[in-house]
Amino acid sequence: MTDQRVLIPCSGIGKAVGEVTREAARLLTEELRPGVFETVCLARIMTEDSGAAAERVRTAEVFVIDGCPKKCASVSVEHAGGRVDHHVMVVRVLSKNRSMRPGPIVDIGDAGKQLARAVAEELLRGVVL
Amino acid sequence: MPFIPKVGIIACNGEECGCGNISRQAALKVLHELRPHDTVTICLPLFLAGDSGERGFAEVFPTVTIDGCNKLCATRGTAMYSSEPAVSINVQEYVSDGCAAEDERWVVTESRAVVDRIAEEVAAHVDRLRARLAEEWT
Repeated sequence: MTDQRVLIPCSGIGKAVGEVTREAARLLTEELRPGVFETVCLARIMTEDSGAAAERVRTAEVFVIDGCPKKCASVSVEHAGGRVDHHVMVVRVLSKNRSMRPGPIVDIGDAGKQLARAVAEELLRGVVL
Repeated sequence: MPFIPKVGIIACNGEECGCGNISRQAALKVLHELRPHDTVTICLPLFLAGDSGERGFAEVFPTVTIDGCNKLCATRGTAMYSSEPAVSINVQEYVSDGCAAEDERWVVTESRAVVDRIAEEVAAHVDRLRARLAEEWT
C-alpha cells in the first residue's frame, strides 16, 4: 500500500451537505490528522490535460467525502481510474444524527459543524494513520 | 411577467489552494446575496460527473465561470462537457501573490476584499447577460 493519502471532498455548491464535506476536510487536514492528507482539486481530476491529478489519485490511498447519493467525488475518482479506498457520505451520517441538521450553505451553523466532525470521525473509523 | 432565463454560476471550488476557496465564496456571494433571483448554482462536481440537467442548462443558457488558478478547470470543464461560458473569471488576475494563500483553503480571512470585488464584477456580468436575455426572450 502506498504511503500517499489523498483526501477529496465533493465540495458541492448546490446543497449545504457540500459545505459540510469541506468542513470535514478542514477538520481532517488541520485538526484531526494534520500532515497526513494531500488534497487534490476534484475538478482537476476531470479536466487536466496532463493527467497529473488523475495519476495522483490512481497511485494513492484515496479518502472520499461525498455529500449526497449522487456521489460526484467517488464517480470522478473512478472515472480517473482510481479506487475509493475509504468513503463516507454526509447524508448517511446525518440520517443517524438527525439533530445535526446543517443550516444553509452560506452558514451551516453549529449543528452543521457537529455533523462535519461526525463525518470526519466516520471516515477515520477503523483506519490506522 | 415574461420568462427570462437565469445565468448559471460555476466556481471551481478548488481544494488545493486558497484561490479555489475564493472562487467558491465569490460564487456564493453572487448566488445568495447580490443576485439571488437572477442566477442559479451549477455544481461543478455534479456537472463533471455527468448530470444531464446541469450540462443541459449550460448548453442553452449563459454561464459565468470563476476559476481559482490558471488551470481554469471550471472554464475548461464547462467547455469540454457543455459549451463555452459567456464569461470566464480567473482569481489569479485579482491577487498579487498567486496561489500562495494556502491557509485560506477552507476559510477566507485576508482575502475577503478580493471575494467582494470578484462577486461585484460577476454581478455586473450577470446584469449585462440578463439584459441581453430579456431582449432575446421578450
